[in-house]
Amino acid sequence: MSKKKIVIDPVTRIEGHLRIEAEVDDDGVVTEAWASGQLFRGIETILKGRDPRDTGLIASRICGVCTNVHYRASVSAVENAYGIEIPDNARIVRDLVTLSLFVQDHVVHYYHLHSFDYVDMPSGLEADTKKAVELASKYHPKPYHISTGHLEAVKEKLQNYVNAGRLGIFSNGYWGHAAYRLSPEGCLVHASHYLTALRIQRELGKAVAIFGGKTPHPQNMIVGGVTSVMDMLNPQRINDFLFIMKEAREFIERAYIPDMKMLVDFYRDEIKAGDGRGGGNFMACGGYGFGRDAKLFEAGIILDHDFNTVLPMDETKITEDVTRAWYAGDEPLEPYSGETEVLYTDLNPDGTLKTEDKYSWIKAPRYEEKAMEVGPLARMLIGYISGSETIGPCMDDFMRDTGMELIDFCTSVGRNAARAVEAQVCCDAVFSFVSDMIENIKYYDEETWSRYDFESLPKDAKGCGIFEVPRGMLAHYVRIENAKVANYQAVVPTTWNASPKDGSGLRGPYEEAIVGLKLSDTSKPLEILRVVHSFDPCIACAVHIVNAKGRKLSEYKVRSACSV
Amino acid sequence: MRIVIIGGGIAAAYTANLIFEQSAEAEVLIVSKEKYAPYDRIHLCSLIDGSENVESIALELNPAVKLQLGEEIVSIDTKERRIFSQNASYAYDRLIIATGSKPRELFDTSGIENATTFRSADDSFKIAKQIKDKNVIIMGVGPIGLELLDTLMKMPDAKSIYILSRGKHLYSKDLNPASIELIQGIFESDPRVKISYNDAIVDRQVEGGRITRVYTKNHTIDDPFIVFGVGISPNVDFARDSVDVNKGVLVDERMCSSDPYIYAVGEAAEIRLNGYMAGRVKECTLQADAAVGAILGSDDAGFIQEPGIDGLKVGSFLFTDVSSPFYNPGDEDNETIVISSKKENRIDQYIINSDRLVRFIGINSNIDVMQLKRMIENDDAVDAAYFYQNRLVSERGRIVCSCESVYEQDLIDIIKENAVTCFGELKGLSKAGRTCGRCKKDISDIIAATPVDPQEAARLREEKARAEKAQELEKARRRIEKYNRLHPKNQISPDNLEEAIRTLDMSGEFNRWVSMVTASMRLHPTYEDVVKKGVEQLNKIPIIWLELSDCSGNSEAFIKTANPRMDDLILKYISLDYHELLMSAAGEQSEQVLDSVIENDSGRYILIVEGAVPLKMDGKFLRIGPRGETGLDLLQRTAKNAAAVLAVGTCALDGGVVAAAPNPTGAVGVAEALGRDDVINLPGCPVNPVNVIGTLLYYIMFDELPELDGKNRPKWAYSYRIHDNCERRGHYDLEEFVLEWGDEGAKQGWCLFKMGCKGPYADLNCPQLRFNEGTNWPVGVGHGCFACGEGKIAFDMYANNRMLEGEGDE
Repeated sequence: MSKKKIVIDPVTRIEGHLRIEAEVDDDGVVTEAWASGQLFRGIETILKGRDPRDTGLIASRICGVCTNVHYRASVSAVENAYGIEIPDNARIVRDLVTLSLFVQDHVVHYYHLHSFDYVDMPSGLEADTKKAVELASKYHPKPYHISTGHLEAVKEKLQNYVNAGRLGIFSNGYWGHAAYRLSPEGCLVHASHYLTALRIQRELGKAVAIFGGKTPHPQNMIVGGVTSVMDMLNPQRINDFLFIMKEAREFIERAYIPDMKMLVDFYRDEIKAGDGRGGGNFMACGGYGFGRDAKLFEAGIILDHDFNTVLPMDETKITEDVTRAWYAGDEPLEPYSGETEVLYTDLNPDGTLKTEDKYSWIKAPRYEEKAMEVGPLARMLIGYISGSETIGPCMDDFMRDTGMELIDFCTSVGRNAARAVEAQVCCDAVFSFVSDMIENIKYYDEETWSRYDFESLPKDAKGCGIFEVPRGMLAHYVRIENAKVANYQAVVPTTWNASPKDGSGLRGPYEEAIVGLKLSDTSKPLEILRVVHSFDPCIACAVHIVNAKGRKLSEYKVRSACSV
Repeated sequence: MRIVIIGGGIAAAYTANLIFEQSAEAEVLIVSKEKYAPYDRIHLCSLIDGSENVESIALELNPAVKLQLGEEIVSIDTKERRIFSQNASYAYDRLIIATGSKPRELFDTSGIENATTFRSADDSFKIAKQIKDKNVIIMGVGPIGLELLDTLMKMPDAKSIYILSRGKHLYSKDLNPASIELIQGIFESDPRVKISYNDAIVDRQVEGGRITRVYTKNHTIDDPFIVFGVGISPNVDFARDSVDVNKGVLVDERMCSSDPYIYAVGEAAEIRLNGYMAGRVKECTLQADAAVGAILGSDDAGFIQEPGIDGLKVGSFLFTDVSSPFYNPGDEDNETIVISSKKENRIDQYIINSDRLVRFIGINSNIDVMQLKRMIENDDAVDAAYFYQNRLVSERGRIVCSCESVYEQDLIDIIKENAVTCFGELKGLSKAGRTCGRCKKDISDIIAATPVDPQEAARLREEKARAEKAQELEKARRRIEKYNRLHPKNQISPDNLEEAIRTLDMSGEFNRWVSMVTASMRLHPTYEDVVKKGVEQLNKIPIIWLELSDCSGNSEAFIKTANPRMDDLILKYISLDYHELLMSAAGEQSEQVLDSVIENDSGRYILIVEGAVPLKMDGKFLRIGPRGETGLDLLQRTAKNAAAVLAVGTCALDGGVVAAAPNPTGAVGVAEALGRDDVINLPGCPVNPVNVIGTLLYYIMFDELPELDGKNRPKWAYSYRIHDNCERRGHYDLEEFVLEWGDEGAKQGWCLFKMGCKGPYADLNCPQLRFNEGTNWPVGVGHGCFACGEGKIAFDMYANNRMLEGEGDE
């Protein structure tokens, strides 16, 4: 049987420069796949030698999409190294920024970066607006901004646009592709929410900026706390924040979740066929406490789609492998000494990956030698099975309304469903976080910074900051020598998900989920894009200098509690 | 930083002043061997005829400059960073050699009373004192010799004046015979003057320290006074043991010598790459700009040779001289065109090489020399017809100040419009006469000859403003018409566009946005109509948005744009054809979109680039597209046919955080990667989307780049210092500072300067616009600014919460 090579580069509608190559047989079934990060910047190298108090503003530039989370992880890693506990208010302010970002990030991901893979936008022009209203009403009694009048206006807006002759961002999409399943009415409802979501994400940006100063790249943290004390003590600011979150929750309840249920309905065959299913290993570090002892996310490990058991997560079992990544990593290096050098072995002359050799700037982290998936799906599964009170009810509702089982979430469509449920969970919880903060202020706790004298802090220290962030588990590790950063490392969600093969040939999660897909048109590999997008790739984050083959990350960890 | 300048001329004084213009922190010491404070050598002739004295030709010097006179530097200790005279030594952090040149002599004049060079104030005084009833011999017929001759002709003192040319030329070996004849005729109208060609001194009699008789090839001259004006050589012997010296101190394009702490400017410097040595004041100032920019880190553009322009008024005629940096007098391919008029005593001489103008020498010429300069700069092919048609210049008259390109009529207009009555009042209105100073007297004469009336001046100013406004409005209208013509494919008619706006009930918001853009671009409200039309045209302009070595932060900021909202922006106002973060197409299909825009919209699309360009490892740190093109190759391919290139975000400016030390991937900004100087920079981390939209709009309306600053940033967005417009500025002035995070001052919104806010070092409009629809900004949130728009320096120097070293030490 002959094999055909498919190349997708650039993979658009993601952050960063990702290339996917796949081998397809005569029946259009993917037999092998390679995911490759194509940009290296060396931010960790840049961080070396700097004052530990300054890492946040530079590390934050790792990514402008999941912005803020690197800033936070970096500042937290330094606090962890020095044993600085931040005041409760500072933690809550940081949480508010992070949670509003979660919601914003998920909304943008589904509607603006991903929905074109499921929604044949131009077909929305053929829709009957009355039927579209009926369709939307099936999934929510009061669908968000859906009326025949409004939908007519949306249609007209799109029609005017098409008539104007230049299709802009809609040029040359896979429109009319055989794999599209949504009815014209379903497409119109999505198109309408695509436009509305542009407004919602902008509003959520304002929510981030209230306590974060701006977004992308908020600027409200320092080692020891936050700077936004004036905003925190301003009732109007808190009010503004709450009302934006309230509006976002409306949108999630009446648009995002219903649209996701609609998607599940139309793409039930793909779900049942297991399109986009990966290796079945999931990991989360949990975190974000609120109220008396509630917690947003749970920590744990699921292996081989075994939903009966959540194993405890043991960070010492994490290793890294660079056999197939563009770094010299055959000789294990002494821990903390030097960085692995870049070893670029180039592409083939025709621009394709050297698939038998090294082929990505992304390394391959493994847990007990297994490739792990991280992200909303991992969090929702682990939380649900662990009996989380925040996640459980939302998952139950969704499963009841759609008839989905846990295994069905382990697909491309399912990953999106898990992400939508997570947006709902975060949105609900954010009000409790604000209550905690108001309670503190009410009892005259206005602390936002823990005082320390930098000169008397230890000259040598190590620490880490580990968080769940929109795309999965994020960890920053810092080693300080002579009061300067001696080594810095970030292991980010997409590093796990987009990892290349390792020394034993084991595929990364993207690759594993692509293999076995059947393509209806190999010149328009829409099905592959669906799988890749369902992970919400963020490639700028994922590319990092690594230290040594197989070296345990836990060696960085010295203090007991990595604040989570 | 302690900066020491050696030298006592215009290069030294200009450099010292420039340092203080750009930095309040530097300490500057000038060490000069002369006993006078730095003065303008251009006016040495005026010291001879007594029309000026050494105080009146002194150069303006910032009072903060320390001055050490009468100290000749003899050596440099580069290790200890000290310079030594016979009696003293001075420490430096940076040394600038601006020692100029020393005049050449044809024989040893030590101990001889009646022979001198002509290079310093003391030389002038010696000439003035001794020429009475002497037979003066001027050796050398270059500009200096001729100017001296002209001065002496106006004085009765000399008995006779011989001027000796070794060849058969005056002024320059390149001057054509007709011009020489013309000049000769004018000089020889004074019977005392004797021009002697193919001549040289062959012998002399000396008695008691005086030369009593001189034998030249053609003459025997008794009781002479001899002046050497035969050329100069760089005065750099003292530096030979310390830095690389050829003719002058060898320097790179930043004027830095082989020692990283030593710079050289002006006639003392020799560009290592091509052996270039400055001869004119303008070039010396450009070199000083480059050196100071490099030393203070304010600008690292380096010295770029421009065609030189010289003007020299001698007696009744005016020389104008334009010379290409590539002019080589010995090149046999040089050809000459001469256009002369007996009636007007005018001769225009053009020297052409391979179809390019390389030099122009005019006598009483009235051709537009600035146009000739542009012709050389642009490397335009010569059209001889132009020389003929344009020789009756312009309504703007002759060029008066060649350093600052000021024409006579422009000057007269300024004088009339502002009722200027003396040279001093011209300050701030025109830079004419303020660079080399040669034309200062000429300008004073023009002012004296121009009658002024304050009422008339006010009327003229109004009339001018009206005419300018009308002209600009007309230009914008024409531009919009042109776009309409250029886009026949576009199916939007004015009717259905208006209809669309009505349907969407967008008019309210639309108008608000138009007003806002009009205001933030600092345009008068009368522009609103034109802005509105410009906005409507935007959706016809194809846009390619490239993401290179980036974090997508600028794209993420861009989709959060309000007024217009993103949905309207992409559906109605701009045609965002290629944008990896947002476009529906991927892989091969997205590549097709890109190729199609590059090919079918060549010369019309706008390229927006986000991110740095990694250059190390042949640029392979970034590969994009099905063919694995490097970021650099992709950038070059898309930029080639673009109508304009916008570099958005700080990484695109100069590499930003990606190029922060140690710059692992060799990242540079877009302009540097392309080697172009017309890239518009819109830095910020991320850039505020209003600044992107406003700039696009300006380009579309006026068919030209908005006015840019030294970093090619639009002035309308980047000419505000954050500190000056900060909402917390009042607290700064009252010295109310936050001293600890979360303290009472922090709760009250006091100034963050002492917490390391870098607002004083940042030029951006953040305080006015704020972010996320005016929700907040880094100072608002109590953190302070880190000057993120200033480039990679922000990430190496400013991205911390500490004051800069030396700030706030009380």
